[in-house]
Amino acid sequence: MSAPLLEVRDLSRRFGGLLAVDRVSFVVQPGEIFGLIGPNGAGKTTLFNLISGVTPPSSGAVLWRGEPITGQPPHRLNRLGLARTFQNLRLFDGLSVLENLLVTLQRQPRSSALAGLLGTAQHRRAERQRLDTAWQLLEELGLSALAERQAGTLAYGDRRRLEMARALATGPSLLLLDEPAAGLNPSEKDQLCQLIGDLRQRHQLTVMVIEHHVPLLMRLCDRMAVLDFGVRIALGTPDTVRQDPKVIEAYLGSGSGGGNTP
Amino acid sequence: MIDNGLLVQMLLGALLGLSVYLPLAAGQLSLATPAFYAVGGTLAALLSTRWSGLGATADGGFPVPSLLLELVLGGLLAGLLALLVGRLVLRLQGIYLAIATIALVEIVRVAILNLPFTGGAVGIFAIPQPFHDASGYLLPALALLALAGWICQRLEGMPLGRAMAAIRGDELAARCLGIDTTRVKLTAFVLSAVLAGSTGALAAHFLNTWNARQGSFDASITTLAFVVLGGSRTWLGPVMGGLLLTALPELLRPVGNVRLVLFGLVILLGPVLAPQGLITPALLERLGGWNPRGSAEGRQEAQP
Repeated sequence: MSAPLLEVRDLSRRFGGLLAVDRVSFVVQPGEIFGLIGPNGAGKTTLFNLISGVTPPSSGAVLWRGEPITGQPPHRLNRLGLARTFQNLRLFDGLSVLENLLVTLQRQPRSSALAGLLGTAQHRRAERQRLDTAWQLLEELGLSALAERQAGTLAYGDRRRLEMARALATGPSLLLLDEPAAGLNPSEKDQLCQLIGDLRQRHQLTVMVIEHHVPLLMRLCDRMAVLDFGVRIALGTPDTVRQDPKVIEAYLGSGSGGGNTP
Repeated sequence: MIDNGLLVQMLLGALLGLSVYLPLAAGQLSLATPAFYAVGGTLAALLSTRWSGLGATADGGFPVPSLLLELVLGGLLAGLLALLVGRLVLRLQGIYLAIATIALVEIVRVAILNLPFTGGAVGIFAIPQPFHDASGYLLPALALLALAGWICQRLEGMPLGRAMAAIRGDELAARCLGIDTTRVKLTAFVLSAVLAGSTGALAAHFLNTWNARQGSFDASITTLAFVVLGGSRTWLGPVMGGLLLTALPELLRPVGNVRLVLFGLVILLGPVLAPQGLITPALLERLGGWNPRGSAEGRQEAQP
């Protein structure tokens, strides 16, 4: 088996008296869809923030293809191939849908500032390439009809997909999705499931996804970890996790039928 | 009414408006423009009066190439200062950055006031003149403005400008999308300083005398008003704001002492009546196909 794409080792984060993430460890293998579930306040988003460099960990380590990346700033992690979305969408609302992607297509292909100022052939070629990539992504996520619209005026589901397109535009190997199905109706949730699977195929992605909607996650993920009060209480395939008594008690109790709620 | 002298002043105002606009386009409220303006002006005043190598003549004349050299040097010195200070102050955000940059303006003002070679409160006077009268300054001021406007326009359609827009939109999202926000903010801050420094160098010759009062807290607020009134969403806004607000006090001169009250009213009512400023992207689009963000050249041909 190849080296894990991402390894989280004894990762902790303390906020004052609150241990939001408590010595969490797991590995994410290339190509898998890895789920992260847990009740509200279990530390899922904090864990994402630690992995993506937004918040520094209090202790522990994050490894990327075996190399330590703990404490690196988010932009550097993104350039390594780690992209994320946000639970409460953070689009560039004042820019058009297309511009939201162009903003992100900064480095591929590279063109110097001077070339940009003078509008040289090299710059124009780079711009055309960026536009092509942006249009491709818009097409792929069904947003091309909205390309000229201001991002702030989009419907909720479109905003969610635009945020995914924008993350994909950075050319990641690992995509962190923070509650991508939040606020979507059941049919949109099905489409999202399909979309995530398709994107993994086409972009050779590894996906980590936080989700509240357990059935969706069970269907989508290859493996998952369960957090409760910052502690990883279970890890494994959806089937193992579903039958874990600790999980049933902490989270699935009412939702899974057959659980014994305390 | 508007004579050549006032026209030059208006152009200088537009340039300072752009200098405030540049960091703001990257979401950074910096009021440091007058500090860099003062640095550029002081350097030009010192060089032209103290260093005979630049070719100032006994009757107060000055070669135009030396003026251009001073514009470059003034911009460079201001840019260097911005590079040093920016690393420190750009860690601050929003109103804290504004206060820190006001402090910078004060530090530079007090330094120029007290340094042994800057002439104290009187300042430096009889700065040699490259032109016979004010109209001579029109061309260099216009050229500098055209250059600055061109750079701002080009920025919209290139990675640096887009990164600035992204930071203005959502800094955290920009960081997570691979944008080195520290570097982009610093670049915008340095560009702003270079522009203010060059403007100061030109202004020192135009005004003929130069002292510490040129870069003061008042100027911070005035230049900010250029951007607020003109609009901060496109570079044309601050240009318009700078032109108008520099001209207005002079145009109102005939009404006597009430003019400053009227001027104050305009500054007060501007944001109330036009919260986005006078020049907005929507307005430019209505005025006919001007693409305010100039992005995506040839987006039509790329469209499938």
